[in-house]
Parts: sequence; C-alpha cells; structure tokens
Amino acid sequence: MILKRNNFKDFIVRDFKLFFYIYSHKIFFWFFLVTFVLQIFFWKLTEKYRNSSDLVPPSPSARMLKAMSFGDNEILFRSLVLRFQNSGDIFAGFVSLKNYDYKRIYEWMTALDKLNQDSRLVPSLASYYFSLSQNKNHLNYVLQYLDEHSSRDIDKNWWWLFQATFIAKKDLQDLDKALYFANKLSQNTAKDAPIWTHQMPAFISNSKGDSCLAFKVIKNLIDESQSGKRQISVEEMNFMRHFINDILIKLKKQNFNPANC
Amino acid sequence: MGQILKYILKNGLRDKLYIGLFIVLAISFAVSIFLGSTMMVEQNTSSVAFVLAISRTVVVVGMILFVCINVSRAFDNKEIEFILSKSISREQFILGYLGGFFIANLLILLPIFLVILSIYDINYLGLLFWFVSVLLENFIVISFALLSSLILKNSFSAILASLGFYAISRLMGMFVMGIDFNDNISAMKQGSIGFALKILSIIFPRIDLYSQTSWVVYGDWNKTVLFIILFQSIIYLPLLIFMSFHDFKKKQF
Repeated sequence: MILKRNNFKDFIVRDFKLFFYIYSHKIFFWFFLVTFVLQIFFWKLTEKYRNSSDLVPPSPSARMLKAMSFGDNEILFRSLVLRFQNSGDIFAGFVSLKNYDYKRIYEWMTALDKLNQDSRLVPSLASYYFSLSQNKNHLNYVLQYLDEHSSRDIDKNWWWLFQATFIAKKDLQDLDKALYFANKLSQNTAKDAPIWTHQMPAFISNSKGDSCLAFKVIKNLIDESQSGKRQISVEEMNFMRHFINDILIKLKKQNFNPANC
Repeated sequence: MGQILKYILKNGLRDKLYIGLFIVLAISFAVSIFLGSTMMVEQNTSSVAFVLAISRTVVVVGMILFVCINVSRAFDNKEIEFILSKSISREQFILGYLGGFFIANLLILLPIFLVILSIYDINYLGLLFWFVSVLLENFIVISFALLSSLILKNSFSAILASLGFYAISRLMGMFVMGIDFNDNISAMKQGSIGFALKILSIIFPRIDLYSQTSWVVYGDWNKTVLFIILFQSIIYLPLLIFMSFHDFKKKQF
C-alpha cells in the first residue's frame, strides 16, 4: 500500500507533465462544471439586483464639475443641460413630472448655474418645463431657484422674476409669494423692461384685495412720470388712470379715504 | 529641411489623415447640429459649443495618432537613418518634422475655422482667439507626441503617453484647485497631496485654460488668461523642442 502511494507520488513529481497531458481534458471539464455552478450561484444571489433607476441622478459636486469640464466649462454646461433636460427619459416614454425628485432638480439647477450664469437654458427649463409639475409643492423648489438666479442681477434677469411671479400667482396660488417676486421685479432699472414690470406689485395687491397698496404703486408711477423721473407713454398713462379710477370707486364703496394709503 | 516638411505633408496624404479627419469632422458637425437642435432654447449657441469642443478633441487625437505612428514607422523602416545620412543636422531633422506636423495641423484647422465663421452668428474676435489658442494647444501636444515617440519608439506607448499628457494638462485646473482643497481633506496627510499636485503643476502646462468655448459663444475672454496662454506656449513649446534635440542628439543608430 505504502509502496503504491510512493509510486503514485513519484509519478506525480517526476511525470507531472505527462499526468497533465493525459488528464488535462478531465481537469478542465471539472473546472468548467465548478465555474458553471458558481455562475448559477452568482445569478441566484444577484437575481434581484437592479441598476439604480433614478429619474434624476444626484447632481455633481463642484470638484467633480471642475474635473469633468477638462478646463472648458461651457461645453460641460451644454452637455449636462442636455442630460438634465432629458432626465426622466426611461427609453419607454417620459415619466410624469410629479414623480421627479425636485430637491435634486433644484440641486442640478444651482450646480449648472455655477458653470454658466448667462445662459437662458436653465431658467427656461425651470420656468417653462419643471414648473408644470402636478405636485404644487414642487413649485417651491422652482421658485427658490428662480429667486436665487434672478437676484444675482435683477436688471438682466427681470423676465425670470416675472415668470416666478406668474408661477406663484397662477400655479401655486400663493399671492404673498407672488407679491414678494413682484416687488423684486419692480426694483429693476433695465432699459428694456416694460412699464408693467413696475406695475406688477399693484396688480398682485389688487388680486389680493389690497386696493390701497395697488393705488399707492400706480400713484407713485404717475408721480414719477409727472416729475420727469420716468417717461411713460400716453396709452400707459391712460391705462393707469383708468386703473386708479377703478380702485378709487372700490375704496369709496368701502368708505375708505385714499389719502390714508 | 524643406524636403522633410514636404515629406511629412505627403505622409498626411498617404495616411489619409486629411480625408479621414475631414470625414470625422463632418460627422461631428452633423452630430453637434443635431444635439444643439434638441435643446429647448439656445439651439444655435449650443450647436456652436458642441462643434467647437468635438472638433478640438477630434483634431488633437488625430494629430497624436498621426505623429506617433509616423515617427515610429520612420524608425522601423530605417527612414530616419536614411534621412540622417544626408547633409542634415539632427536639430534640422526635428524642426523639419515639427514644421511639417504644424502645417498639417493648420491645414486641418483652417477649414473648421472658416466653416464656423461662415455658418454661425458668433463673436468673431472670440473665434479668432479660440482658433489661435487651439493652434497653440495642438502645437504643444504635437511637440510632446514627437518627443514621446523619439523616447519610447513604440507607437502604442507613445500614443498612450501623449493622450495621458493631454488629459492631465486639461485637468490641471482641477489639480491647481486641489492644492488649496488639501487642508480640508482630513483623511490625507497634511500637505502630501498638495505637494504632489504642486509638482505636477510645475511639470505640466495649463492647457485647461486654452480654447474656451465661451469666448466664441459669449465673447467673455479674460485678458489675463490670454496672456497666460501666450506666455505658456512661448515657454513650453521651446522646452519640448529642446528636450527633443537633447534626446535625439544622444540617440545612436
């Protein structure tokens, strides 16, 4: 028995190549079977695993943005906006906006603003697309972004403040918020901004039922026109006078003296 | 030297460099226009941005491949020994090769410049700065590709080294920023990463500042950046060329 074992050992040590040559097909067959069983176990363990299916992935950090840009922020900005614009495309149709994570949408918009503050792309997406969510709570994120974006330069971004006012009044139906944006909007001194940007607090106050504030805003504008501080066209003046007359009638009905406004 | 220059330009024709790059560029123009048109607003601006970035990358990669494969083939075919057997110095040989590559690069970039100029409504001065900056960026990369081809001889290693050099140089802005970040990274030994990044920033050029797309789109170039680009090129190009001289002088055939 011992002799036999030694012979076998000697055989393995001395003629390993021969052994391998004779039995290699069997060895590899067993290896194949073992790896096949392993693959079945692996499949069983990972069967339930799914790739992350976030509609809106987390926004990249400032450092990541710097690395991804390879020195050219503009092209990274355009590429990421394209990606951001199409978030929710799950290759089987688009998902309803109410299912999006708007906190992440907000983070994406602020991250993209760090790359380019001059482009109209992100505020356009916020105002015309992401504001269409059926979940009204989502609009607060959109308004927060529009507020931060526009506040950097009100003269340049007055249009986005108007959009914020409009979204707050019509979609969110929060007149206090709308008045906040309207007041901010009226502070602009941009040459291309129409007169209604300054009248906006009056319109919102009137909708709120605060005729006194509406009266005051329009009266200030007329005073500015008469003192030559602001040039207002005849048509606009007629409209404002008509607006004031309406308010005066309303105040008269309430037995309120407009001089107290 | 003039003969070498012509030889390199003809090599471009033989290797289908010009036609190949033009086909790739035409496809990238089409893709850029398509991508731009899918944007919600600013379609034209986005399409210009995509065209500029894609064409810059295509040309850089194309030139790296051309230079590395060309030089390595010249070593394999004993073309270099043949040329050096004529009455030409090794410095002239390097300058002839570089001149040829530079002109080939200019021939490829010029039509891109003219096409963008004629198609898009952009900031013209910004486009001029972009064009000159891309030329300088490509000259640096070409010089490095030639140097790495001379040192490594093997075309594959030279291509990898040149692509790595370009990627790291383009990431240099982040590395420089990382030097300041380092103190906030508690897991790292104080200053060790910052020191390593500082060494890298000494060796590699600041190519991240070159050819900004925003110059063309918004015309918002910064004079300091333009001066940095100019002086960086004035210093770094001769550095690479002198290094090539030194390496090639010591080479024995």
